[in-house]
Amino acid sequence: MEERLYDLIFICRPDTPEADIDKVITTLEHVATEKGGKIDSVNKWGRKRMAYRVQKLREGYYVYMVVRSSHGEVVKELERRLKVADPVMKYLTVRLDEELKRQDKLKRHRERRAARRPRKTVPAAPAMPGTEPQAAAPTA
Amino acid sequence: MAEENAQQSYGSSGGGGGPRSSGPGGGPGGRPGGPAKRGKRNFVRKKKVCRFCVDKADFIDYKKAEILAPFIQERGKILPRRMTGTCARHQRWLTVAIKRAQNIALLPFAAEL
Repeated sequence: MEERLYDLIFICRPDTPEADIDKVITTLEHVATEKGGKIDSVNKWGRKRMAYRVQKLREGYYVYMVVRSSHGEVVKELERRLKVADPVMKYLTVRLDEELKRQDKLKRHRERRAARRPRKTVPAAPAMPGTEPQAAAPTA
Repeated sequence: MAEENAQQSYGSSGGGGGPRSSGPGGGPGGRPGGPAKRGKRNFVRKKKVCRFCVDKADFIDYKKAEILAPFIQERGKILPRRMTGTCARHQRWLTVAIKRAQNIALLPFAAEL
């Protein structure tokens, strides 16, 4: 099966020590590799104000990671771990690869159109400099 | 004045009852030509352009709450296309992005009191 890419964001309680958050991250990495996936990148956004209260708290420690896997088991297990982990209040997994594919397609489409466009405008472009000197000559 | 108004209101109510019969009088009034004739509602609307089309966005990132924030109301509702001028395709992506952002508490579901 083809490889899939996921965004995984989780929010920890703001009062958890950094060490505990690192522990959560390392366990997630272990779980991912165990199940045949891979965590591409981990990005700690740090303490942020949340848009609404979660577990009566206004702030949370955001951690963002990109997960790569070829089957859904990895995500299933990661989500189960997150649900069980004490410091984690909230998490979200979003499948990315299909959107990236669409983005790529649109980009290629636009590039192709951009490449085609100059052919139409090039004949017009030489005409423009030609007219300008003529217009300038009578005045001079 | 009062009589005129009364007549107009009668006319409009008649239009409501039978749109076909009063079509020549009331129907075209709603069309672009009508209001100009009467001198009412004769304002020029500025053409709104989809901001994502201007930026040539192929993808709307739900993680960037500051980009999505202008497209929600103070109470947390998603603004309709007719307010923001977003094109259909980008509005579709935008709603998905906003809903994702709401899920991870980057944007509110509803404003808190």
